[in-house]
Amino acid sequence: MENTRELKFEQPSFFKRLKGMLGVDFYRLFHTPLFYIFLGIAAIIPALVSMGAMGGGAKGVEAAEATAMFTNAWQIIAAKSPLYVINDMGDYANMNMVFIFGGIMISIFIGHDYKSGYVKQLFTTHAKKEDYMMSKSLLGAFSMACMCITYMIGGMIAGAATGLPFTINAGSLICAILGKMIMSLGWASLYTFINIIFRSKFGISIALCFVLGTGIPIIGAAAVIGNTPALNIFLYGSSVYACLSANFVSVIVCLSVSVAWAVIYNILGSWILSKRDCY
Amino acid sequence: MNAIEIRNLSKSFRGMYAVDNLNMTVPQGAIYGFIGENGSGKSTTEKLICGHLVPDKGEIKLFGKDYTDAGVRARVGALIENAGCFPNSSVWANLMMQALNLGIQNRDEEIKRVLKIVRMQDNAKIKFKSCSLGMKQRIGIAMALLGNPALLILDEPINGLDTDGMRIMREILVDITQNYNCTVLISSHILGELEKIATHYGIIRQGRLIQEMSAEEMDARSRVFVSVKTPHIPSALTVLQRKFADVRYEDECIRVYDVDDTESIVRCMLASGQPVSAVEKNKVGLEEYYIELMSRKESD
Repeated sequence: MENTRELKFEQPSFFKRLKGMLGVDFYRLFHTPLFYIFLGIAAIIPALVSMGAMGGGAKGVEAAEATAMFTNAWQIIAAKSPLYVINDMGDYANMNMVFIFGGIMISIFIGHDYKSGYVKQLFTTHAKKEDYMMSKSLLGAFSMACMCITYMIGGMIAGAATGLPFTINAGSLICAILGKMIMSLGWASLYTFINIIFRSKFGISIALCFVLGTGIPIIGAAAVIGNTPALNIFLYGSSVYACLSANFVSVIVCLSVSVAWAVIYNILGSWILSKRDCY
Repeated sequence: MNAIEIRNLSKSFRGMYAVDNLNMTVPQGAIYGFIGENGSGKSTTEKLICGHLVPDKGEIKLFGKDYTDAGVRARVGALIENAGCFPNSSVWANLMMQALNLGIQNRDEEIKRVLKIVRMQDNAKIKFKSCSLGMKQRIGIAMALLGNPALLILDEPINGLDTDGMRIMREILVDITQNYNCTVLISSHILGELEKIATHYGIIRQGRLIQEMSAEEMDARSRVFVSVKTPHIPSALTVLQRKFADVRYEDECIRVYDVDDTESIVRCMLASGQPVSAVEKNKVGLEEYYIELMSRKESD
């Protein structure tokens, strides 16, 4: 046969493979409306939260009670102190909500990989299962970190519009925002892990991501065991820990917890992907 | 070197074996026609080769290396079931994503090259969901061709195509094997089309490869026959059946199998006063060979 000249097979390095996979994911992220819609949602949420805090047009005692939810504009972004047990909506309704919407975005993103059949194209070539997990986790972390920024901008505008004071310890504020952005990696890895389990059934993934993103299991645990910093070992716990009283230690805690969970979920996810059929 | 070597490959779904101890060899540079009825295990085998499914047991080697080897996998392209494209993205964007995944340097040139091969260079801007079935199949081929693959795995790529689409696909496949040093594993139910391009065949039944041969071997194994056209079918059939062992009425003519001597048949017909309109020597095609093989296996 005339076409039997020797073929060369170059081994792609781990970084080349990951770069390729990240290239695909980021190209898709920037060329489809999904990412921009979620950035918009993250920017609008603070306005809705502050409207709620203002009592949504309520007057008199009702409005005064509602306004009391926030005494400072930055509380739209993070709680005053790390309260795992939720006393009121003010403790809860802040930048942590990005982690709920981030979960939904990742579910839609990965769900489309499976639904369109594109995942077949990825796995036919040199891409390894761990590349897929890692790339999606990093992409999700980047998206949620961007959402944190648009949430912050939205929060500042909403805070200015409501006339709340902006007085704050700048260092604590930076640590709080940085901590929440760092937590994106852990959350994104969790959501990627959930999505590779449920694959094209992204309705289930969205529901599960929503439940976990709201922190209901940790809030429930806190209601039973109390407001203990031990809950910081969980993603929601550390996300709450990145509050307006945060310091450098809080950032380190967030970094350790986020990276630890990211590693765990990536190892588990890669293992599941390698043991299971792609679809 | 063989492009694909499969030994004792098995894959089951809920206890039912879709692929059962399959052994298969695809030589480098071949267009390997993978034939079998629905549910025989063709697609499952292809998905196993592509790494989409995890085998229960067995060994798959691509170009002498384990099929999970990233270096080899980087040179594998596939079109399994559908093109695997994002419907709301353009043809160009879909190809760009695969080019990025493969780490191709000159992406724009490479995309233009594959679009030219599949004759889609004027349709790069349209959304994938707006493409016709034939166009989608060609985009799938273009995706698989990115990065100059050494092995192309195509699952029913000509299904649903019109006559012109089939001709284009045929020309593309011959072109890439002859000019791009590519081996093609192609499954199809349209055996007439497959016969025009395949250099090797593998016939699978109930998850097992029951026959593997080159096109030359297939040609040698095919039964010869002489087809006779006459206005008096029943009486001519009786006359010929008296003299020859296997005579059948098929496709509106009488076929006398395992005989390639037209003269003796014409002589026999004329001697009994039977008129002959036309007489032609022929060979059993792939489709008939396959049907016969299947019915033989059925009765075994």
